[in-house]
Amino acid sequence: MAIIEQPPRQLELAPAGVVGPSQALGAYARPLRATGWRAWLFTVDHKKIGLMYGFTAFFFFIVGGVEALLIRLQLAQPNGNVLSADLYNQMFTMHATTMVFLFVMPMAAAFANYFVPLQIGARDVAFPRINAFGFWCFLFGGLFLYISPFTGGMADGGWFMYAPNSGPVFSPTNGIDFWVIALLITGIASLTSSINLITTVLNMRAPGMSLMKMPIFTWMVTVVQFLLLFAVPVITVALVLLNFQRLFDATFFDVEAGADPLLWQHLFWIFGHPEVYILILPSFGIVSEVLPVFSRKPLFGYPFVVFSGAAIGFMGWGVWAHHMFASGLGPISVAVFAATTMFIAVPTGVKIINWLATMWGGNLRFTAAMHFAVGLVVLFTIGGLSGVTHAIAPSDTQQTDTYYIVAHFHYVLFGGAVFGLFAGFFYWWPKMFGRLLNEAWGKVCFWVMVVGVNLTFGPMHIVGLQGQPRRMYLYPDDLGFSAWNLVETIGSFILAFGVLIFLVIAVMSFRGPRNAPLDPWDARSYEWMTTSPPKEHNFDAIPAVHSIDEFFHRKYEEDETTGELRKVATAEEILAEQEASADRHIHLPSPSYWPIVVAFGLPVIGLGLIYNFIVAGVGALITLVGLYGWTQEPSAHDPEDEDPSAGPSKELATVG
Amino acid sequence: MTATTSRRLRLGAAVAGLGVLAAGCAKDAPQDTWDPAGPAAQQIDDLQKPIFAIAGVVGVVVFTMILVIVLKFRRRKDGDRVPRQIHGAPRLEIAWTLAPAVLLAAIAVPTVTTIFDLAEKPEEALTVNVIGQQWWWEFDYPSIFTDSGRPVVTSGEMVIPAGQWVTLNITSRDVIHSFWIPRLNGKKDAVPGRVHFLKLKADEPGTYWGQCTEFCGLSHANMRQRVVALSPDDWDRWVANQKLAANTPTDQLALEGEALFKGQCVRCHQVDGLTDDAGEPLVSRADEQLVSGAAPNLTHLMSRTTFGGVSFDLKRPECTNDSAFDEQFATGTAANCLNEADLERWLRNTPAMKPMYSQPTEDTGTLIRGMPALGLTEEQIDALVAYLVTLT
Amino acid sequence: MADTTIIHSPAEFVPEDEHHGVAHHTSTGLSNNKLAMWLFLGSECLLFGGLISTYMLYRGRTEGGPTPEEIFDIPFTSVSSFVLLMSSLTMVLAVANAKRGDIRRTRLWLVTTALLGATFVGGQVYEFTAFYREGLGFTTSLFGSSFYTLTGFHGMHVTVGIIMLLSLTFITQRGRITGDRAEVVEIVGLYWHFVDIVWIVIFTLVYLIPA
Repeated sequence: MAIIEQPPRQLELAPAGVVGPSQALGAYARPLRATGWRAWLFTVDHKKIGLMYGFTAFFFFIVGGVEALLIRLQLAQPNGNVLSADLYNQMFTMHATTMVFLFVMPMAAAFANYFVPLQIGARDVAFPRINAFGFWCFLFGGLFLYISPFTGGMADGGWFMYAPNSGPVFSPTNGIDFWVIALLITGIASLTSSINLITTVLNMRAPGMSLMKMPIFTWMVTVVQFLLLFAVPVITVALVLLNFQRLFDATFFDVEAGADPLLWQHLFWIFGHPEVYILILPSFGIVSEVLPVFSRKPLFGYPFVVFSGAAIGFMGWGVWAHHMFASGLGPISVAVFAATTMFIAVPTGVKIINWLATMWGGNLRFTAAMHFAVGLVVLFTIGGLSGVTHAIAPSDTQQTDTYYIVAHFHYVLFGGAVFGLFAGFFYWWPKMFGRLLNEAWGKVCFWVMVVGVNLTFGPMHIVGLQGQPRRMYLYPDDLGFSAWNLVETIGSFILAFGVLIFLVIAVMSFRGPRNAPLDPWDARSYEWMTTSPPKEHNFDAIPAVHSIDEFFHRKYEEDETTGELRKVATAEEILAEQEASADRHIHLPSPSYWPIVVAFGLPVIGLGLIYNFIVAGVGALITLVGLYGWTQEPSAHDPEDEDPSAGPSKELATVG
Repeated sequence: MTATTSRRLRLGAAVAGLGVLAAGCAKDAPQDTWDPAGPAAQQIDDLQKPIFAIAGVVGVVVFTMILVIVLKFRRRKDGDRVPRQIHGAPRLEIAWTLAPAVLLAAIAVPTVTTIFDLAEKPEEALTVNVIGQQWWWEFDYPSIFTDSGRPVVTSGEMVIPAGQWVTLNITSRDVIHSFWIPRLNGKKDAVPGRVHFLKLKADEPGTYWGQCTEFCGLSHANMRQRVVALSPDDWDRWVANQKLAANTPTDQLALEGEALFKGQCVRCHQVDGLTDDAGEPLVSRADEQLVSGAAPNLTHLMSRTTFGGVSFDLKRPECTNDSAFDEQFATGTAANCLNEADLERWLRNTPAMKPMYSQPTEDTGTLIRGMPALGLTEEQIDALVAYLVTLT
Repeated sequence: MADTTIIHSPAEFVPEDEHHGVAHHTSTGLSNNKLAMWLFLGSECLLFGGLISTYMLYRGRTEGGPTPEEIFDIPFTSVSSFVLLMSSLTMVLAVANAKRGDIRRTRLWLVTTALLGATFVGGQVYEFTAFYREGLGFTTSLFGSSFYTLTGFHGMHVTVGIIMLLSLTFITQRGRITGDRAEVVEIVGLYWHFVDIVWIVIFTLVYLIPA
């Protein structure tokens, strides 16, 4: 492996410390080199933003989990009286909304934000301030949603919020108004992030990294961003129409005026179906990274896995009405969507087979991350197979709106998406924090969660087929559901215990010293060619790329005689090489006040729309002032800020 | 590691296997979707059981593969050997992309034919209009007329002749509901402003249970329905009874109850045969009281066995025969079998028994969504119950 | 943006470039900002697609209010559509002049575009107030709700465009525009043309094609 001999270069970063106001464009001094909590509030660093996404998402995971436990307590026995009907309806609405929009999506965004730039050899994303803005929108949107319990009740129309039940006549509290606006705000986060990440991936890859040499996690995230780009506007339309009806007396879902309630369903599910692929593909990406590392073999059929991911993204637009098989579409529509739904099983199946083929012939190490990855393969297979049975439309008219569907999507979402995220935690923890999560307890956590998942959601297949409908705050004792429901409740607490174990492991990991090895897993992909945690600028010098699994190919070389692979370099050596050829002048985007300011105006506008238009005006003003400040501010601070004799910058303010 | 891994997989397989078995062997599951009692549900069952079996086989194959892999390729003593780095096998991958596609295409054919079969309207059928509203079902028989010239209207329990096709025209008066009787057919949504078709046929006389299966608000869980299929003779008797108007009671207490009913209840609840002081038929104007515009027709309340959206039994437990179809259904609930306790509680404070919106809200004007607590005295409740018992 | 300039070489590690202000090489050939605008416009297609579909579904449901035939003034709207179309022409001229570095003419055409856009919006406001007086309010009928929502969203987008054009004029006044910074003008131009194309679709489907 040729190494260019170069004299060591000095890394010239701007000096630390607070400096005076900028002479450049802009009305306010921007924060520079902030420390403490300001370092987080005004950061534009994708890694910090990723961590904030992650911690916030995990908090909402706990919130959604508590809601789930309350639901299960109510359903532990027939004719339960833990929750009233009203409270129960709020609980299942908020549980789903929280888990989908405030946990799984942002947690995937956390991994995407942290690792996509590292995986492609970039120093940050294309638009760092927009990245920060996206996070604050997510946080404020989530907090906005949770104002509603204090203002008369949370949303209670189900996460799918069908009209006309969601209209003002049938849902008189403000809960749904908070829900609509919260989703609009978090939708802005998703949309801006998608534009950001796509631009980053398409434009900012390391030299030599063609699209078909990108790490597979980045590929899956990219497909997800395209799905978000096109799906979020559709639900935006639906939310706007509902909002206008509830707040301004528009008639979009008013049947008396001639409205068609199915309009909501179509708009929602045209978003809603790509949404489920948005939820699962990042975890597929994580597992596609983890399995090869712990099998010591490359991902089998990388091109097929990439194309099947893209195919899922593409075909996912053609199946939405399989959520509406009982809604009164005619037989032709039903038949078409049944067919398309059956065929989308094909690319998903391809992935599973490719994962098995990756492990076949490998040298499997069962670390905690590997446990979760293999767990995903097993549990997602169960969920996927029940999904195929839903595609059979006549059968689905018996299954839809029963616990059989609840079983399906919890297997694919918990056993699939969440297990993938947990695999990501165990795999990437040392890279992010320089510490390892305890492996032994990690495996305990895994087993507890597996038992919990199967005990909670397994019996739901049975009671669903026995006719237990969804979304019911109680069930009588003469329908035969009682025993399994008790089992499910017990299972849910076991599952919660598993999550608790993880929390303890996570907290404990921060107690010890930061002494994780640089390459604890003998990993394969690009992001491992950094320190742990990575330096603020990620790479001292951007390594060029010659193949997929670039890192692995720098460590191992094929012996000419035996054909075996032997290690020729350690991670430490590769990193040292990089540091020796460090770039001389690394410019990083600078912290900024404006993302949080602009984001803050949005929930204020929301409150104003519900209660008082003057408040909305104040919110709009905050946002507009923030936008003005933002556009006047260059993306990186003026060197003049630190050396006034250097003269003003000629840079025109750019958006990001 | 080996032991625990295989234990996990055995656990998973056991749960899955148990599920399949238990679902098929449900004894006390009146809404079991795997226990068809009519040709439509049978057709769905004939389609789905083989497919479940195929899915089960695929699952077992995948789990077996994983078990084999996990055991065979786990790291041994010679720890860190790097195995052969196989990147793929395109021809194999194409094969295992096409194979499931072909299998699914094969499954698609009977699926599509079943979809169209189930959508086909039967030639000779009784038509019943099914109307959902918060939180009960109304059933209108457009081809059966009462003596006063209006179609027969019932609620909660849809009575049909056994062994004959019934065509349902399903709609809603407010939000989306869904009509479902699992043992007879799949579900179909009741959407306001639209009419949806569903067909049912019960092979044998019996009671078939179902629930509203589209979330419709506060008391969605309390909105249930039943189909009661009667033998030809019982059906004729039932029809003949439904055509009659209610008679004036002879009992003193019941007469008091009737007066009370005419003063208050009739505003929402229609009883054919009631007349006002001038002798004109009393017509209830539920549209002036309720958002949905309708309340259950009580003319033949006692010909039913449940009330309150099939949430409560009109019959006392000792009169209810659980294990087989109650052959006395054609005569409904007799006075000596009446579950007065629940009926009185209902009249005392309805929203306490079944959550409803009994007060108007800002967007409903003066209209409400549910039966309010009427503030009746105990004597008034006794009188009303005595009257209701006469509505056979 | 993270502006590490990369010069491609066969080296293992790529040395940092000294110069700033030079366009960064990207795999797509589009700068980050331009790519971002194209992606954003892609998502906007779905937004307007949803609104247009809603309108097309509800255009015939006019109970309680006037119908499209009764209320539309096609000649008037044709004129304002023409105005908007001409604004795209002036936008093209602005971009061309920005690329040539002619700041004065760039500003002239930017302001003209903004004025034409404002004329269009003014025409919309006049039209809506006229409709309202003739009995078509936002809550009158489904046709009313969906018409105003669709055209209102479009009008909002035009207004945002006008603000961007005027801001750009203000910035160019400070003499900050150089050859490759003309790209900002081009990016605003992309947005403006998109808004115009959406109007052509709306005008055709809503006004010209009868229900």
